[in-house]
Amino acid sequence: MTHNILYIEDNPDNMMLVQRALEARGYHLLKAMKGLDGVATAETEEVDLILLDINLPDIDGYEVAQRLRSSNKHQLASIPIIAITANALKGDAEKALNAGCDVYMSKPINIRELWARVEAFVPMP
Amino acid sequence: MLNSKSKDNLGASAASNTVISSKLSHLSHLKCSGCGKEYAHHELHTFCSFCQSPLLSIYDLKSIRQNVDRDEISRRPKGMWRWNELLPVLDAKNQVFLGEGDTPLLPLPRLKKGLGLSNLYVKDESSNPTGSFKARGLAAAVSKAKELGVEKVIIPTAGNAGGAMAAYAARAGLRAHIFMPKDTPFANIEESRMAGAEVVLVDGLISDAAGMAGEKARAEGWFDVSTFKEPYRVEGKKVMGYELAESFNWELPDVIIYPTGGGTGLVGMWKAFAELEELGWLENTKRPRMVSVQADGCAPVVKAFQAKASFCDFWTNAQTIASGLRVPKSFADHLILQDIYESNGTAIAVSDKSILESQKQLAVLEGIFAAPEGAATLAALKELLQQGWLHPDERIVLFNTGSGLKYLDHPN
Repeated sequence: MTHNILYIEDNPDNMMLVQRALEARGYHLLKAMKGLDGVATAETEEVDLILLDINLPDIDGYEVAQRLRSSNKHQLASIPIIAITANALKGDAEKALNAGCDVYMSKPINIRELWARVEAFVPMP
Repeated sequence: MLNSKSKDNLGASAASNTVISSKLSHLSHLKCSGCGKEYAHHELHTFCSFCQSPLLSIYDLKSIRQNVDRDEISRRPKGMWRWNELLPVLDAKNQVFLGEGDTPLLPLPRLKKGLGLSNLYVKDESSNPTGSFKARGLAAAVSKAKELGVEKVIIPTAGNAGGAMAAYAARAGLRAHIFMPKDTPFANIEESRMAGAEVVLVDGLISDAAGMAGEKARAEGWFDVSTFKEPYRVEGKKVMGYELAESFNWELPDVIIYPTGGGTGLVGMWKAFAELEELGWLENTKRPRMVSVQADGCAPVVKAFQAKASFCDFWTNAQTIASGLRVPKSFADHLILQDIYESNGTAIAVSDKSILESQKQLAVLEGIFAAPEGAATLAALKELLQQGWLHPDERIVLFNTGSGLKYLDHPN
């Protein structure tokens, strides 16, 4: 069974890197380039895990996480969310965890760590 | 004092009838520590473009073994660059030298007696240029950057790395830009500015500074010499391992207790021991147990070690008086953990209170005014003795990574 992972990220280079890495492990990647699109995708598609950039062009990742956690789609209250950000501002990690993310990862994304973090929530197909 | 240059310290020649190499460096290529992908060393690289893990320098050790006399290295003029075959700079004119390396390995007789130990030493890195071990890594990184045509370098720092980079960049004629937390010790800020670096004080930790430095590097083309985000700082740091082996007559101590922020020194020394073993320069194959010391207000490696994890979680709300240990997550966390596991070592967190008590003890009993990070290793030693993790007869080396004189603005 293929697991769906949603990556909300506006940087195409990061998107490509993560897509290549996760598809190599048999996961299926759903992509959203904006925060609101990401929330909509999570609410309409079957998603097993969300990778979430913080610096997005519309609403930021904290807002995305809060909207997901309070969504009417009750599965989103407990879906694993991994925040991935360049942590350019003070307290990004703390804010991400407070907003409802389960794990915080900083860029550059170490692919071996990404695999380990994802597999901790969603076993490799 | 154990003098690492003393001829009496030298064991039997590993290859007394060998021809002395005329090749400065035997660097072969770079290799990703994660996926193994190889990179050419004559190009400028940061970290692996495929899996984004640190790159490590690989040397033609077979060639060194055939052509380099271990004991001839011991007879060369003092300094880090006497190990040039095992360092990455290809042309001597690019070696930026301020006197780094060959720091003393000092016995600690009073502390040893008080703690009931037989063999206790400190490798005192405070005599390096700019007063800390950071000089070694930045000497190597700035030299190699210069060799590869870099003109401007940028770094996020918890303190001492910034001062060291500013000095070596000045010596090399490179422009330097430094991002450091606003509560970084004043000495680090001032020494960086004095050497002509552009300094930005950040309202946050080194992780926040790293984000800003990375943004500026990408936007304006500065070369980022962040810990493990370029391959060569670890090469300078590994020389601490060579010097230890040389000082102990080409054997290694039983236990090394080392303060861990970014982890370059720990990873570097473990790499050095592997290289020495492959070169056949060690008298036996016994490796030390590596102890990673962190502060209990910022202990991501300790937490991961206790969980038997391969990576660290980002440590939130990091706080400690040991600014060099305020690293919420190292870019090379998997290498640090891998080396601790491989060495049958451990990771331990100590309190700021015990760091300050140990700093005082080192000064009063041994005359060493250690940096808080260095004092943390004594605090850890006492804790490990209480736990029974150490045997009193073992040969134990603490690392004092810098001078306490650089932290005088901290309220003790």
